[in-house]
Amino acid sequence: MQPDEQALCFPCDGDWLTAVLSPIGPGALARRGVLIVVGGPQYRAGSHRQFALLARSLAAAGIPAMRFDYRGMGDSGGDPRTFEAVDLDLRTAIDRFIAAVPGMQEVVLWGLCDAASAALFYARHDRRVAGLVLANPWARTSDGLARATLKHYYVARLLQPAFWKKLVSGRFDVRGSLGSLVGLVRSARGGAAPAMQVPTPAVPAPGLRERMLAGWQGFRGPILLITSGADLTAQEFLDMVKASRPWQKLLADPRVQRQTLAAADHTFSRREWRDQVAGWTAAWVRSW
Amino acid sequence: MHAAASPPQPFFLDTGAAARFCLYHAPLGPCRGAWLFLHPFAEEMNKARRMVALQARALAQRGHAVLQIDLHGCGDSAGDFADATWEGWLDDVARGAAWLHERSGQAVALWGLRLGALLALDHARHGNAPPALLLWQPVLNGSQALTQFLRLKVASQMLTEGGDNGGTAALREVLAAGQPLEIAGYTLAPALAQALDHLDATRLPPPACPVHWFELVADAARPLPPAAARVAEAWCRQGAHVRTQAVAGPQFWATQEIAECPALLDATIAALTGTIHAA
Repeated sequence: MQPDEQALCFPCDGDWLTAVLSPIGPGALARRGVLIVVGGPQYRAGSHRQFALLARSLAAAGIPAMRFDYRGMGDSGGDPRTFEAVDLDLRTAIDRFIAAVPGMQEVVLWGLCDAASAALFYARHDRRVAGLVLANPWARTSDGLARATLKHYYVARLLQPAFWKKLVSGRFDVRGSLGSLVGLVRSARGGAAPAMQVPTPAVPAPGLRERMLAGWQGFRGPILLITSGADLTAQEFLDMVKASRPWQKLLADPRVQRQTLAAADHTFSRREWRDQVAGWTAAWVRSW
Repeated sequence: MHAAASPPQPFFLDTGAAARFCLYHAPLGPCRGAWLFLHPFAEEMNKARRMVALQARALAQRGHAVLQIDLHGCGDSAGDFADATWEGWLDDVARGAAWLHERSGQAVALWGLRLGALLALDHARHGNAPPALLLWQPVLNGSQALTQFLRLKVASQMLTEGGDNGGTAALREVLAAGQPLEIAGYTLAPALAQALDHLDATRLPPPACPVHWFELVADAARPLPPAAARVAEAWCRQGAHVRTQAVAGPQFWATQEIAECPALLDATIAALTGTIHAA
């Protein structure tokens, strides 16, 4: 029987952070835990509770896990901030996590989307961070998004018979869709940003890719990269890698392990995908 | 400027499979009232979390005890969403209310958002008359809410399989045959779907307590949505004390990014404490 989860509240520069710890079985010891870093417009439970379930699954596999809300998100106090300004939140959460689990000395940061990018920024500055799990990392720039959308979404849609059936039967919004396609083409050529809804911060961050590259280069521990096949964010990250020698070199390093879920979407919104991600994570954390 | 309130206290009510995540906001100064918050359905709960935290803190600053409870299979509470039932959620409401009553010494009023508001209304009619109800954009018709949720599945099928496969009617048949459905990452059990299908605020007796009812509209000059106005008027005709108010702001439980609506926070404080919070 798994021990019960613990609710935690701790200060971070004058504000209070809320966290939930999933401990491992009584008497068991673990040197290493997983701190789940939350990305996008989500709080610590995650989209469709993915992080709550991931933490429970890791704890059941003997790996303590904690998840928390940044300042300004979920139940935590303070003003909202972007994923580019959460270093102190991460440091404070790691302090609390390590204090809460006797014998635990190091953590793996597990981040989805912009939380993967935030984890990359932070990891090299804290020796307690032993490894990184990066799921569908956020490397968005406006032209990168436009290219990825054109290549992976519209092309796929145009090849689907149902798309044409809809078009012929008049159920497809031709004007609206062509409008957004034109916007994307313009953006892919360096014009205006596309009007399409994207899953996370709408404003591309200047220098984001450079910061991510520096973070990856500066971090010495192992990295597990998980990408979804049906996710523009992941495709954009992989497109960036394909177009860059330094990135290709980093990903070819033996300390990097890669897993791909071809059918999965951005947040792994099916039980089979979620469970697969949890399984890969547990096996990898215990493999080194 | 208000004195600093103590930090909200997260805890698990009970243990094991019965563990329900709770967040208690202790009142600053003498306790003037107690509110149990009931969250909306599925992803709406995640998106609304920030607004609820802001409102709960603002109420605690003004002397109200507030308890947030995550229902069975939701948020940080134990269990899987697939195992949740409406009856189980009603039990959770009773448990949360009992804890808050004991802690605060006050009769416990209910504050619900969207489907949480319908849960509050359903709880109130089972002989549990609260001293007051605060409804934020209540879902009035469970069947319509279910249809909207099923549409997420239809849209996803259209994108991945390229066909609409009979729409929500076909999905209802699957549920009626006893099969759960995985929708946007949540496994919807047939029993919960069936319970939602039979919930209709227009058929509930009018609440026997004051009701503070807020609807978010695109423009403050707009009237209340017709369905809300109809139900509120019907309850008033039957002698209920219902105060409706339309507030301009984003539908923060459904926005892509996390949205705040200060006008709703202020209007709620004004309604519940009788004071106008300076802007």
